[in-house]
Amino acid sequence: MPTARTLDRLTTRAALAGLVLLAACERRSGCGGDYCGTLVIAAAGEPDILLPPASEFAVTRDVTEQLFLKLADLGPSGNTVGDEDFQPQLAERWEWDAPTTLVFHLDPRARWQDGPAVTAADVAFTYDAYTDTLVNSSFRSSVRQIAAVTTRDSLTVVFRFRQRYPEMFYDAVYHMRILPAHLLREVPRDQWRSTAFGRAPVGDGPYRFVAWKAGESIELAADSTFFLGRPHLRRVIWRFTPDQQVAVTQLIAGDADAVEVLISPDNVQRARADTQLATYPYRGSAYGYVGFNLAAAGDTTKPHPLFGDRELRRALVMATDRGRLLHNVFGDFAKVPPGPMSQLWWIWDPDIRELPYDSAQAARHLTRSGWIDSDGDGVRDRDGRPLAFRLLVPTTSAIRRQYARLLQEQFRTVGVDVQLDEVDFSVFNERARAGRFDALINVWNTDPTPSSGFPQTWTPAGFGRSNYGRYDNPTVDLLVDRAVASAANREQARRAWRGAIETLNQDAPAVFLFATENVAAVHKRIADVRIRPDSWAALLRTWRIPADRLTDRDRVER
Amino acid sequence: MAAWLVRRLAASIAIVFAVATITFLVVHIAHGTPCGPSEARPLAPDVCERQRVRFGYDQPLGVQYVKYLAALSRGDMGESFGLHRPVGDALADAIPNTFALALAALLIDFALGLALGIYQAARARRLGDIALGNVALFVNSMPVFWLGLVLLLVFAQWLRWFPVGGIHNPVLCPRLDSPYCLLDFLWHLTLPALTLGLVAAAGTARYQRAAMLEVIRQDYVRTARAKGLRERRVLLVHALRNALLPFITLCGLAFPFLLTGAVLIETVFAWPGMGRLAVSAILQRDYPVVTGAALVTSTMVVLGSLIADVLYAVADPRIRVRGA
Repeated sequence: MPTARTLDRLTTRAALAGLVLLAACERRSGCGGDYCGTLVIAAAGEPDILLPPASEFAVTRDVTEQLFLKLADLGPSGNTVGDEDFQPQLAERWEWDAPTTLVFHLDPRARWQDGPAVTAADVAFTYDAYTDTLVNSSFRSSVRQIAAVTTRDSLTVVFRFRQRYPEMFYDAVYHMRILPAHLLREVPRDQWRSTAFGRAPVGDGPYRFVAWKAGESIELAADSTFFLGRPHLRRVIWRFTPDQQVAVTQLIAGDADAVEVLISPDNVQRARADTQLATYPYRGSAYGYVGFNLAAAGDTTKPHPLFGDRELRRALVMATDRGRLLHNVFGDFAKVPPGPMSQLWWIWDPDIRELPYDSAQAARHLTRSGWIDSDGDGVRDRDGRPLAFRLLVPTTSAIRRQYARLLQEQFRTVGVDVQLDEVDFSVFNERARAGRFDALINVWNTDPTPSSGFPQTWTPAGFGRSNYGRYDNPTVDLLVDRAVASAANREQARRAWRGAIETLNQDAPAVFLFATENVAAVHKRIADVRIRPDSWAALLRTWRIPADRLTDRDRVER
Repeated sequence: MAAWLVRRLAASIAIVFAVATITFLVVHIAHGTPCGPSEARPLAPDVCERQRVRFGYDQPLGVQYVKYLAALSRGDMGESFGLHRPVGDALADAIPNTFALALAALLIDFALGLALGIYQAARARRLGDIALGNVALFVNSMPVFWLGLVLLLVFAQWLRWFPVGGIHNPVLCPRLDSPYCLLDFLWHLTLPALTLGLVAAAGTARYQRAAMLEVIRQDYVRTARAKGLRERRVLLVHALRNALLPFITLCGLAFPFLLTGAVLIETVFAWPGMGRLAVSAILQRDYPVVTGAALVTSTMVVLGSLIADVLYAVADPRIRVRGA
């Protein structure tokens, strides 16, 4: 039985322990004013390496956007034709010496974060790295029209192009982030993907690298001497989650300040119901479609027994109520695309002609082509062959699986039997590349311009690459070539694009299902949130947290 | 004893080798390509092909296997295709996190399981025993990821008592360098450890109850009671010591369960451990990471089992005699 004295002693010790604990729990608070904010971004996925030419991840782009500058960047209009709408970054100005010669003058104030000035040699070095097969950059094809990059003096760099075309300037500046030659020159090119620099980079951007904890977070700190203006947010932290749903949950629970995209209408509702959060809709860069394989599955020399038939494809497109599907899956957060395009593309035009939804006419087309339900089993057949095919879908995409089920039901009503092949993404990828499928539901994330993505996915230039269904129409190719390479101005290019897409729509190589509309969510204490649709974090350095909205998390000194 | 230990060690090494081989074969035979870093922007085929050549995936499987074993014998588990870093480094980052989670879960498992088992045995076939038995059965039959999701929903999202995921607060505690950050770490650890620990404890309690019931019917326990010892002393000192033998076996069994459970729990709670690393590597067909993770996991499981066997032999001389 404890005595009163023992109890007293115990109580005193407990109180002391509590005080020590409380003292330990108290964090030092210091920073005040306009440059104290800390932004935590919950991100699904983690960068593989923070070296721009060596990575293809979207989250890598978001982080390296803060570390490395381009010569110039896309302006708010998103116009990729000509150079009028681009904004200077490393280059303070530029001029055309000749129709295919572009000269950039670097800003003399630009510095690498370890001290040296950014020079023209860095730009030439970067071009060399992006085009080197040993570095194996997936952006190499994007700069293929640039013949050479040379230096005129330490601050002047000259780009020479192979030919003249409307998006020369875009190609020169958009894909390449300038790299520090003095830190990377000695690294063997075939070892770039595993170089230590990629896990602790030194850049020239508004933020400097602080720490990367694998599987957990990346932290950047503002460079207070940044020559284009000190960033308002003092710290930016990416917190990695296994998927977007967890990221959204962290945001709503207050463990993060921002997510890039809320994905589902349900998440948008949840975010809007939270009084602490503001939502920011912006045009999405993805579009999704059911692609038909026009070649026999696994044998590209023969036509597909079903989808080699243009009339059958057209009937299937007309049998698809894309608006209803879209409403069921996305609610108001996507649009039915008028062809193979994302909302990001400047050629987006709802007036582009496409096949209408008309299930009665689709049924008549099928009957006229000899596809009738001769045995009354609900599935049309011809010459003893049922009108049935398999639809390849990756299990990793809830949206595509949902679409697959809805499509299966819509096609069933016109007598078409669809079986689903649900496989994990790497298998999906492998089978799509090898052409081992009847039809697939695919999604492409696009660049801001159709000029590179469209030819790779819908012309023979993409055979064996991204044109999985092997669609080929010389008229489309000609129009695309005219739009990409020889259009004299934006209006002429628009007409050529429209012609190409309308021709493609009539051939029905795919059912174009959705073009995403993204919604980002950001905590309301963050002001001046501006989002550029092609790269949501591109303008992060302008975001700020006003002094009266700072929390302890923003003020904490470490 | 020494001969027995050597035999057990040899068998353990053979098991680890077999696991490494089978994992290597399965992961390479499985369909899929390591060329899709993201769904919407897979690598271009030519880039992918050059990557395959660089990592030696274009060579026959037999050649790849021999190279893999040769590298392994030098302690080199290869370079991750997806992470662009040595597999050893990636695992070294992840293993301490998985260990922390497994250890915390093990503590909850044993403390709670043991206490419940003893309590139930002491009140066998009474209301408390029956109610707890049913609760334990319910928890034990729950899929571990589902329990995790429920706890996450209730305690993190609705009540906001715990964080939604992660291992620490990245703003206030980027490093574990103060008592505050230790508390922050424990706060983040609570839900994932509870999820794993509760499910395991439910099973442990059932084992422990049965073991205790068997022991408290023995003559020496009756003698202890007849001598007038208090029931608590009879149970905790006389009965429990002998009822702990099956518990040692459970220690060996619990470790594999916790490691495999961690694969799911780490994904649910965004815990940056080996399980999450392995899941992501499997989805990306990052062969070196998958085989490396399997190798480390199997080594830990075999080691756990070996330690349990040794402890069992130490605790029960009959086993030593039979084994010798």
